[in-house]
Amino acid sequence: MDIQALMLITAETKQTQELVTLVPWTFIIQICNLFIQVFLIKKFLFKPINDILEKRKNLADKSIREAREAQSEADSLKEQYEDSLTNAHAEAAKIVSEAQKEAQTKADTLVREAQEEAASIKARAVADIEQEKKKAINEAKDEIGSLAMDIAGKVVEKEISESDHKKLIDDFLNKVGA
Amino acid sequence: MNSGFEVDYAQIYKTFHTGIPILGDFQLTETLIVSWIVMIIITGLCIFLTRDLKIENISKRQAFAEMLVETGNNFVRNNTGSNKFDKLIPFVSALFATSVVSNLISLIGLRSPTADLSTEAAWAIVVFIMITSTKIKTNGFGGYLKGFTTPIAVMTPFNILSELATPVSMACRHFGNILSGVVIDGLIYWALGLASAALFGLIPGAVGDFLSKIPILGVGIPAVTGVYFDWFSGCMQAFIFCMLTVMYIANAAEEG
Repeated sequence: MDIQALMLITAETKQTQELVTLVPWTFIIQICNLFIQVFLIKKFLFKPINDILEKRKNLADKSIREAREAQSEADSLKEQYEDSLTNAHAEAAKIVSEAQKEAQTKADTLVREAQEEAASIKARAVADIEQEKKKAINEAKDEIGSLAMDIAGKVVEKEISESDHKKLIDDFLNKVGA
Repeated sequence: MNSGFEVDYAQIYKTFHTGIPILGDFQLTETLIVSWIVMIIITGLCIFLTRDLKIENISKRQAFAEMLVETGNNFVRNNTGSNKFDKLIPFVSALFATSVVSNLISLIGLRSPTADLSTEAAWAIVVFIMITSTKIKTNGFGGYLKGFTTPIAVMTPFNILSELATPVSMACRHFGNILSGVVIDGLIYWALGLASAALFGLIPGAVGDFLSKIPILGVGIPAVTGVYFDWFSGCMQAFIFCMLTVMYIANAAEEG
């Protein structure tokens, strides 16, 4: 049985189209079908899945962002602590230096006062010594006067009146002492 | 068993006389019916895969759906080398899905819609229009026309021919491969039917008469050849068609 005859038979039993043919309506409908399929696949597969992927991405982004924020916050806190620590150090140093300065001033004052006092004590001592010296000299003058009177009395053996005597001695002393 | 060789023609179930001059009669063919079945299968699969989606703790079904989407995204992005063509992703995916399911639906005994040139021609024309519009968008209409005269004006007819050859070759390549699968499947069944009739006809008596009417050798062996002619060829052609689509459009956008 050859193919031509077979084709006749099949054409009788059921209607078929040719093997290689371009049917305009089928062509148009297939174009429409393709676009409908694009729409359906977009609506039922890509849109929901892309939405979910987007949501997951946002979630991950959010976590990362939050972590980053927490980190920056921690960083700023650390900086703040470091700042205050530095301030505290500076303050302590300032206090110490002030204390040192004050101590120095105080010590200086003390030393100066001590020196002044020592100087005044010395000055007074010198004055005292001077006075004592004057006094001693006066006393010695008196002593020498009476001694001279005694010696003169003994040498001259002559009683002179007390007042003459005194006058005589004062003259002598003035000649000697002054 | 018919001893003649019979190719699986697309049946026409009903013809509507439209009276429109060029388009002619509308024929409700096997191609259209199976196309609609294919669309229902794909859409049903999409709906099934994207049921109760979750952000965390996803099911295997969702993972598979995400994998499909990612594969589509990566396919288009890798072949075009940028995110410029993200709008093409659903189109290329739909094209691929329709093509694969159409090619493989012959495995369950239906006639592939892709074994009808009208189907591939429709797809190829859509792709051709996309390529052309991308070219015009990239270079302007003048630039598009000027592109035909490169490298020299003498080449213009050949350039026009090669431009027109793009959709024709895409359609015919896909169609030819699937049709050859259909023809070869028909041939194999026919040959195996004859062979088993001859083989079991050797058994004498009524048993031999009975057995020789059943194409016993037709069980199993076509499955082996079908791995190439249906599975491999079907997936390969769908892939090639989509690959060419993406490549042509990406090239069209780069010119000028």
